[in-house]
Amino acid sequence: MLKSKTFVKKTRSGGIMKIVREHYLRDDIWCGSEVCTECKQEETVLQKDTYIESNLCSFPHYLLPDTNIVLSQIDILEDPLIKNVIILQTVLQEVRHRSAPIYKRLKDILHDKEKHFYTFTNEHHRETYIEREQGESANDRNDRAIRISTKWYSDHLNNTPTDKRLKVVLLTNDRGNKEKAEESGLLTYRCEEYVKSLIANPELVDRLALTNDDKNEITSSKVLFPEHLPLSRIQSGIKSGTFQQGTFRASRDNYLEATVFVHGEGDDSTEVLIQGLQNLNRAVHQDLVAVEILPLNQWVAPSSVVLQDEGPKEDDVTEEEEEAELKSGPSGAASRKPTGRVVGIIKRNWRPFCGMLFLSQIKEATRHLFTPADRRIPRIRIETRQAATLAGQRIMVAVDGWPKHSRYPNGHFVRSLGSAGDKETETEVLLLEHDVPHQDFSQAVLSFLPKMPWNITEEDMAVREDLRNLTVCSVDPPGCTDIDDALHCRDLPNGNQEVGVHIADVSHFIRPGNAMDLEAANRGTTVYLTGRRIDMVPELLSSNLCSLRSSVERLAFSCIWEINDKAEIVKTRFTKSVINSKASLTYAEAQMRIDDANMNDDTTKSLRGLNRLAKILKKRRIEKGALTLSSPEVRFHIDSETHDPIDLQTKELKETNSMVEEFMLLANISVAQKIYDEFSECALLRKHPAPPPSNYDILNKAAKSKDMVIHTDSAKALADSLDAAQVDGFPYFNTLLRILATRCMMQAVYFCSGMDSDFHHYGLASPIYTHFTSPIRRYSDIIVHRLLAVAIGADSTYPDLMDKHKQSALCNNLNYRHKMAQYAQRASVAYHTQLFFKSRGILNEEGFILFVRKNAIIVLIPKFGLEGTVFFENKDKPSPKLIFNEEAPSLTVEGHSFNMFDKVKVTISLDASNVQHQKIRMSLVEPVISGVSVAPSEPEPEVKRAKLDR
Amino acid sequence: MATVQVSEAEKVYILHGVRDDLRVDGRGCEDYRHMEIETDMVSNTDGSAKVTLGHTDVLVGVKAEMGKPRPMVPDEGYLEFFVDCSANATPEFEGRGGDELGMELSNTLYKVFNNRYSVDLKSLCISRGEHCWVLYVDVLLLQCDGNLFDAISVAIKAALFNTKIPKVHISEDEEGGKEIELSDDPYDCMRLNVENVPCIVTLCKVGHRHVVDATLQEKACSVASLIISVTHKGTVTCVRKVGGGSLDPESIFEMTETGKRVGKALHAPLMELLQEEESLGKKRQKVGFLG
Repeated sequence: MLKSKTFVKKTRSGGIMKIVREHYLRDDIWCGSEVCTECKQEETVLQKDTYIESNLCSFPHYLLPDTNIVLSQIDILEDPLIKNVIILQTVLQEVRHRSAPIYKRLKDILHDKEKHFYTFTNEHHRETYIEREQGESANDRNDRAIRISTKWYSDHLNNTPTDKRLKVVLLTNDRGNKEKAEESGLLTYRCEEYVKSLIANPELVDRLALTNDDKNEITSSKVLFPEHLPLSRIQSGIKSGTFQQGTFRASRDNYLEATVFVHGEGDDSTEVLIQGLQNLNRAVHQDLVAVEILPLNQWVAPSSVVLQDEGPKEDDVTEEEEEAELKSGPSGAASRKPTGRVVGIIKRNWRPFCGMLFLSQIKEATRHLFTPADRRIPRIRIETRQAATLAGQRIMVAVDGWPKHSRYPNGHFVRSLGSAGDKETETEVLLLEHDVPHQDFSQAVLSFLPKMPWNITEEDMAVREDLRNLTVCSVDPPGCTDIDDALHCRDLPNGNQEVGVHIADVSHFIRPGNAMDLEAANRGTTVYLTGRRIDMVPELLSSNLCSLRSSVERLAFSCIWEINDKAEIVKTRFTKSVINSKASLTYAEAQMRIDDANMNDDTTKSLRGLNRLAKILKKRRIEKGALTLSSPEVRFHIDSETHDPIDLQTKELKETNSMVEEFMLLANISVAQKIYDEFSECALLRKHPAPPPSNYDILNKAAKSKDMVIHTDSAKALADSLDAAQVDGFPYFNTLLRILATRCMMQAVYFCSGMDSDFHHYGLASPIYTHFTSPIRRYSDIIVHRLLAVAIGADSTYPDLMDKHKQSALCNNLNYRHKMAQYAQRASVAYHTQLFFKSRGILNEEGFILFVRKNAIIVLIPKFGLEGTVFFENKDKPSPKLIFNEEAPSLTVEGHSFNMFDKVKVTISLDASNVQHQKIRMSLVEPVISGVSVAPSEPEPEVKRAKLDR
Repeated sequence: MATVQVSEAEKVYILHGVRDDLRVDGRGCEDYRHMEIETDMVSNTDGSAKVTLGHTDVLVGVKAEMGKPRPMVPDEGYLEFFVDCSANATPEFEGRGGDELGMELSNTLYKVFNNRYSVDLKSLCISRGEHCWVLYVDVLLLQCDGNLFDAISVAIKAALFNTKIPKVHISEDEEGGKEIELSDDPYDCMRLNVENVPCIVTLCKVGHRHVVDATLQEKACSVASLIISVTHKGTVTCVRKVGGGSLDPESIFEMTETGKRVGKALHAPLMELLQEEESLGKKRQKVGFLG
């Protein structure tokens, strides 16, 4: 039977279109129940016996939730206890329309065989399809469709033999809908009613999201926040320019401060400063908000005070008037920034947050405050009866809402991750907080792996160049199992040299569009944490079939140059090949071979040739203005049994590191040029924009304090002046300066050549650049491989590869994943640093002041590459006299002035008073300032917390 | 236009018949052939109608789109006509064969319908000088068997009657910026008042008399015809003469009188029919093109 659906739509250009869709109704849509004898279905989803102990429904039944239940109580539906649920197509479509993440979660449940969730396509069923009636709103129509389908189900299941008869329970929180459903004789409950009736499983109640009705009873009627404006007002306000739209970014250091990043036309985006609880108006980090800019005379400067919503005293459930707004007085008109207030929320960006529970001081209380691990997220009030068990555990909590009379948002418990302080749990938290996909690879993904034992076939050989006889070797850090690059170098008869970079041919195994490809594209990158690696591709590929290990035949993508004596490229070619690596070396081993004059085998000769050329290449690159920057990187020696860090050292670089790096750069640049020449519209490239001059302010000030001038007008000038900046008797000064310079830089990003015009890579001083050399751990490289393969005719293309918009979207994801991976790596290092200091107790170390803040100095300990903050203000002590000079910048404490790069001595210890935010605490030892500095503690192996200042 | 070859003897037969008020198919001089009307035929238009008159078959679709009012009349919408003479109607239309006829028909339609006396153009205005509805009236000739004008005009009137224009609201913000908002209820729409929409009556001079709704054979016997558009009150809004021959003033006067009479009689049953069809609502059995 054919029906047509007609609706009128407003087009983007403002026109109005009438759209007609054909809609087919069928009579072969089955109910999906095991008990049903009428439906001629092959497979059933809904089970015969579906008993759940409930004091409302003592009979077996199926659940049928309406849209709002799915949207608000998805956590309940996800619980393994809830099974045999009918999801109507109407509900599914509405959910999809209203919330993509919840839709995805619902789809996941539907696919889970254990959950027995059945999608009933009621919109195409002849008996359950309804047309919208005159005067009926779209929502009313959907509610009616849900009722009609529930009715159909109850009638349909009534036809089964009596002993097996099942009922259908409609779950809805909508009062009108419930009344109408009851009128037509349907079993209907509110979600809370139903969940609370599940007497055998009281823990489910915790996962209930709070709905509007419940909130009223919790909070007092006192209004704390101004009302949010309705969306229509916001939209017209944005259109007329009275409001600005932007992403809300809470400050990590000060909970009463945030910035809203307003995306302007083209490139001009501004940041609006928001200060004070009232002005923040319940916005949460990452929300899309509308702000109103305050009049000029109310503009303020961002406070340089570090202010944390310090814990214990707020554990109380009662509202507190904690409006100790430490607003910095307007310190000079120059530093004032556009200031505004949040008037409304355009889109919430809430996700489940990891964190810990802070128990209420009142015993038997069921409402507790939850402190998220991310400092930028406010505390969340949740209701739970299992507080005692959850205390000391890392848990996940979802936010339900933030009423205007509540100091904190309301939320509900989702799941427990494990006990806090446990390494597994902490790593899990870290990965979740940084949105790193780290689940095991699904069966669908694994099904695309090649069958073992895998061999190179005749067909492979036929289309590839046989380079197995070449003396190829790989040089990597110790313990590396995913070797994606190998090198060779040999003399040619004409006196030139042939250098080859061989990269694992991952794109041979990962074919475009299949599940493995999609998964890799989503993950974007392999994430290396201390002691753990989260692979982008399954291990069989990353550590075996793609890894260019020694003495096995492997498929490779080779970039081969003919290079003359002056390290100038005479000829470049690219080919798919088969190689057989002769040796997998570590940097140290390779260095040893080069230095050992007694060794003269082919591999060593090859290495020497490479090393010689690399030095010339590097020199030339630096002459062109490539930057050598520095950031203190830390390496742990991990105990092989406990996996605890036992020693900590900063990474040191060998000549061979830069040898490998030099050829990788060369390969990347060659490939970038090739794919750009071939596909000017859709080449995936990497750029590094030059930083705006204002970024260098801090570097300039720092140099000035040592009477030096840093030229920042070009990369070359910067590189030269960094080289020239030396202070006698202070060898570490140059490194410090480079560390600062690194922080002035912009992020390098992937982009699609058809969408951008600026290709320059500032840091490498190269006009074009891409990533080609690590396809095992970066998805960008896989795309580049595919482009190059098409360019040399070794592989066929596919539509998405040539679509610049899709490429661009992919680049955005890759950039996001890379950023998050970096953050996760840093967080992992920080966590392990803490573990290390926990085992070492209190240490005294020398360090240098890296930054000066208004009430603190930030100190870098070169020995550990560790950064920490020394606070000069203490809550329980009278603050010392502080004078902050922003221009220098310097901070004078009780007469002693601290400047950047000053040498200080500090004690380092672990502050474990807050389990969630364990942090490295530093206290000043030298210079001695009475009332501020502490006595140096004896470095003892045991932890002696008693000696801690507070 | 589609023509047929008629022999001298046939001509005489027809002429004599008309003189005696008895036409070849048994009609009187002022009688129409059997007419069938169905509205709401094409779902992706805003209004449509199909009219069958004898073997003449015409489909009319109306699409409403937003446009800018003409500068001279900032508070009125307007109509646009396009006549497609498909080669299905007659092989003569193949290639560009139908273009000339199409132009002629649409020019006449502009004259007859696109004025404020026929259609309430003011109701098509959304905001003065900025937005108005433009009604695109597309006429498709499916089969030609004489008297196209009359069939088309009836079809247009029925299609306009059937037209449902989505309701829009203009919301104004403080700054004076205007925003067009579309009602979210598909049933919330505006109907046109078609009371004053005229119908065309074509009178063919055959011998000394004139006939209404001439067949192709009768047309071949005629030297000239008069196209008269008449409203339900009997007001003549437009007169055009087509054909190579000439008409004396006396017969023009007579023909106009007949036109008024016939036109007036055509409107009442048409409106009745349309209203009856409308009142059936969803229960109506659609006949469509296969009926």
